[in-house]
Amino acid sequence: MSRYACVLVEYFDAAAVERGEPALRAEPLGVVNVHNLEARLGRRGPSPSTAGSAHIVDRARASRDGAPAAKIAMIVEANAEARAHGVHPGMTEAEARARCPMLVTRPLIEEYVLSARHALLEAALAVSPRIEDGGAGLVYVDTVGLERLIGDPPAIGRRLVHQARAVGLAARVGLAASRTAARVTAARASGPVTVVPEGRERTALAGAPLATLALSPDLAETLARWGVRTLGELAALPRAGLSARLGPAGLRAHDLALGLDHDPFRPWTPPPFWEEAQGLEWEIDSLGVLAGVLETVLERLCARLASASLAADALEVRLGLASGGHHARSVALAYPVVEVKPILTLVVLDLEAHPPGAPVTRVAVSAHPIRTQPGQGGLWQPPAPAPRDLVSVLARLAALVGADNLGSPALVDSHRSDAFTMLAFSPPSEPEPFDRRPPGPSPRPEGGDHRLAVRRVRPARRVEVEAVGERPTRVDARRVLACAGPWRASGEWWDVDAWAREEWDVVLSDGALCRVARDRLTGHWYLDALYD
Amino acid sequence: MGESVAPIFSSRTSAGEAPAQRRPAARTPSRGEITEIVGRLSSGRTSYLLACLADVVGQGETAALVDADETFDPRSAAQAGIDLRRLLWVRCGSDRGVALRAADMLVRCPGFALVALDLGERVPRLPPTLSFRLKFAVRRTDVALLIVGRRRLTGSSAALALETSREGIEWTGPGPVPTRLARVRTRTRVLRSPGEEPGDSPPLWWTA
Repeated sequence: MSRYACVLVEYFDAAAVERGEPALRAEPLGVVNVHNLEARLGRRGPSPSTAGSAHIVDRARASRDGAPAAKIAMIVEANAEARAHGVHPGMTEAEARARCPMLVTRPLIEEYVLSARHALLEAALAVSPRIEDGGAGLVYVDTVGLERLIGDPPAIGRRLVHQARAVGLAARVGLAASRTAARVTAARASGPVTVVPEGRERTALAGAPLATLALSPDLAETLARWGVRTLGELAALPRAGLSARLGPAGLRAHDLALGLDHDPFRPWTPPPFWEEAQGLEWEIDSLGVLAGVLETVLERLCARLASASLAADALEVRLGLASGGHHARSVALAYPVVEVKPILTLVVLDLEAHPPGAPVTRVAVSAHPIRTQPGQGGLWQPPAPAPRDLVSVLARLAALVGADNLGSPALVDSHRSDAFTMLAFSPPSEPEPFDRRPPGPSPRPEGGDHRLAVRRVRPARRVEVEAVGERPTRVDARRVLACAGPWRASGEWWDVDAWAREEWDVVLSDGALCRVARDRLTGHWYLDALYD
Repeated sequence: MGESVAPIFSSRTSAGEAPAQRRPAARTPSRGEITEIVGRLSSGRTSYLLACLADVVGQGETAALVDADETFDPRSAAQAGIDLRRLLWVRCGSDRGVALRAADMLVRCPGFALVALDLGERVPRLPPTLSFRLKFAVRRTDVALLIVGRRRLTGSSAALALETSREGIEWTGPGPVPTRLARVRTRTRVLRSPGEEPGDSPPLWWTA
């Protein structure tokens, strides 16, 4: 039984670009990076620049005499289509275009590569909890125990290919007893899934070129000088002789050629936030255009989350600005969401309310992933707004009335009659059992009557009250037809917000049934509420 | 469509009333329809609104209240039996235009059993086109829209229109001088209901 699977995405930098622009998959694509010409000729150190073709002429760094610094665009990666036309990494862009006039070039953007690398890891993580990051475009998966869950090794391989495709990457999978055997198999395979039968690793690796082991240059040169070209030839060498001549490095190379791994498996754990980013070659100063870019980024991010059966419960948007600064926004999600449209609506509404201060040159969205409970509601469970609809309508309402004016009220433990707080609207998903319902007064008083409601006057309105003794007889020139009271209450006498009041229920000559209150600390009267 | 959103309130008919003339003591809004409750201040319309909300929320469903004047009292609602966690309260800062837009958004969100719009004393004029727009929106999403105010808003678009009026007040207290409001009796009059003649319903008692 195969123990490891290796998920390999060839020409990874190009695959990362194709993931962002799927239309490029059918085109010969070259990924270019800009090098300082003088540095390339060895007169200076290497240039740290990773800017794209749009920055081929570095306007910011002019030389001392005012002329632009000499730059040269080099091909750092090419997809299979471009390679079929003779384009290879290391060529200049001009040379590549001479070989392939239809060549499409894109700048190397580290964020694309990093996002794609994380996407591949997360796709593998959806299949097995134990994976190892083998580098860009390379993931090792521990498949022990998966056969009971998924099936035989080819089925596991197909699942991995499917997960990688779900995040926009075309992968090949090799399955073998060791990581090296799985990797070499995946690299040499022609089909998407290749399985090396147990005990056949040496045979399977025998024809592979020595370069697939990524040995140190000195060791590779020595072996080449000996005439060793393939792993089979290396495996056929006597171990004692290799140990005597090459030391531990030779023995390790021999083990690898036999398909044996001795390096420990280093499990990869996902970061707390999953980020997807996009650098822009132009400046965006319109929210409509920015929404299009955000949608592309969110589509990639949500595909990653969906492939791992996760949803986002918190979102952070970070915009790089042309001014050199950043504009960061945290977007609250009422529910864990994995759909692009409601998230996009929320982000756009938030950016409408808090627009960036300068044109945007980079977009990054990171999401905090959580595992949601799948499954439908109970048969007798009443319908409720779908999370994506609710998130969207709450965001629109928050933009309309303000986030503070929206939510579920919650009573505060206080003797103040109007003490409450607002909580985010999050109705319980299932009806509470009767004995678990929040305590409260009985809704149906004895006799089957219903509760009389009051309409609050916020803030309580100051009124002029005439009284005989302590009983009010006139409220703002309206005669009091009947009244009941006083009902005294006080609280927070230990604090600066001490209050004391007496309440009267009064019927006024215009028919209103009100509650008026006298502040016992100031003597002022207030219209507190209206019974209705 | 037309399904009752909540059980009809406990019916309290007068003893001497003939069975043929009996009406339910209280009518509840129907899903997919617009219901209006109008009345003067202290006529019991807000108590009626809270009772409808309590019936809906009590069945585990979700409701929303668009409160134009921010007069909603959470303590009264809790006393009426409303699980406040299932109630979305939208405060509109006395802006009727905002309240109407908020209600329009909510009735377009499927899943809410009841959307209540409390317009208070100042009810704006609503063009008939907007009334029909609301009517078709609630039909499509099968939401019950309940509008409470001083006068009617949506005209013929409402399937049910009720008017509340106060009939009496009872006071209570340990001595001869009352110290507290005990309960209020109100009556509901059907102003508009399909297939039904306008008329009064038996009185309802509301305990303070």
